[in-house]
Amino acid sequence: MSGIETVKVIVNAEKQASKMIDEAMTEASAIRKRIDSIIQQQRQQMLAEAKKESAAIAARAGEEGKLEAEQYERESLQALKALVAQAHAKKDATVEKLVTIMMRVE
Amino acid sequence: MSETSKFTEDILKSATEKAESIVREAETETQRASDEAKVTISREAEAIVRSARADADAVKRRQISEARHRAKLREQQEKDKIMQDVLDQVQKRTSQLVEEETKYVPLLTHLIESGIQELGDKAAMIHLSKTDLGRNPSNMEQKINKSLLGRVKVEWSKEPIDASGGAVISSLDGKIRIVNTLDQRFEALEPRLLIEARASLFGE
Repeated sequence: MSGIETVKVIVNAEKQASKMIDEAMTEASAIRKRIDSIIQQQRQQMLAEAKKESAAIAARAGEEGKLEAEQYERESLQALKALVAQAHAKKDATVEKLVTIMMRVE
Repeated sequence: MSETSKFTEDILKSATEKAESIVREAETETQRASDEAKVTISREAEAIVRSARADADAVKRRQISEARHRAKLREQQEKDKIMQDVLDQVQKRTSQLVEEETKYVPLLTHLIESGIQELGDKAAMIHLSKTDLGRNPSNMEQKINKSLLGRVKVEWSKEPIDASGGAVISSLDGKIRIVNTLDQRFEALEPRLLIEARASLFGE
């Protein structure tokens, strides 16, 4: 191989090497650019899931609260019926007691 | 292998390594950024869920609290209704007792005496209901405390007052009036009657 040919081969190799590095840099740049959209996509997906979970929690709590409130209403109504029945049973005696107080001379 | 070939191979090998390193570095860098972003987004998502849980708990608590409030209100309304009914009956029974002299006359006497004392005058005019005017006032006068009659001159008005029972004791000129009717007594005793009724009916 002549000296000129040797130089040509080396220059070509250098050009090829330079091209490889340029391509690698382009790819690196593309990777960096891609990450932004990947993160954005990830964010949207995770937040959407969180919102979906939140909606489910709210719906569940609303239903549980409604059921507990209804249960409380039922129990309190029963307790009230008992209270009213007891009070009615004591009404005549109470009236007499109060009349006695009214008529008492102190 | 010639020296030239070896040299070019070294150049390309070095370039390949550098290219790989550049890409690897970008990948590592983006992986790190992605991991960091995941942590941040996870926190954000957790905060959303946490806030939703707190809101949900508040909604649940409010629903139960409203139910309690409604129940309490209903209970109070029922109690008030019974209490009012009892008080109405007491008022009615008291008016009926006016007919029972043995029970009523000692009370009427007491109301007249306390009225005279409260008036604190040397003379007093006693005003009675139409029913009580039907009883002989001179008989009533005999029942009034003697020492009181010794100090105060008592006159009986012939005009009936509008009351179911009791008396109005006034100065002779009518400027001062002590109202000791049954209605007034009921009003005066009402707070005590309510306490007694509550205790008797509901054990409060």
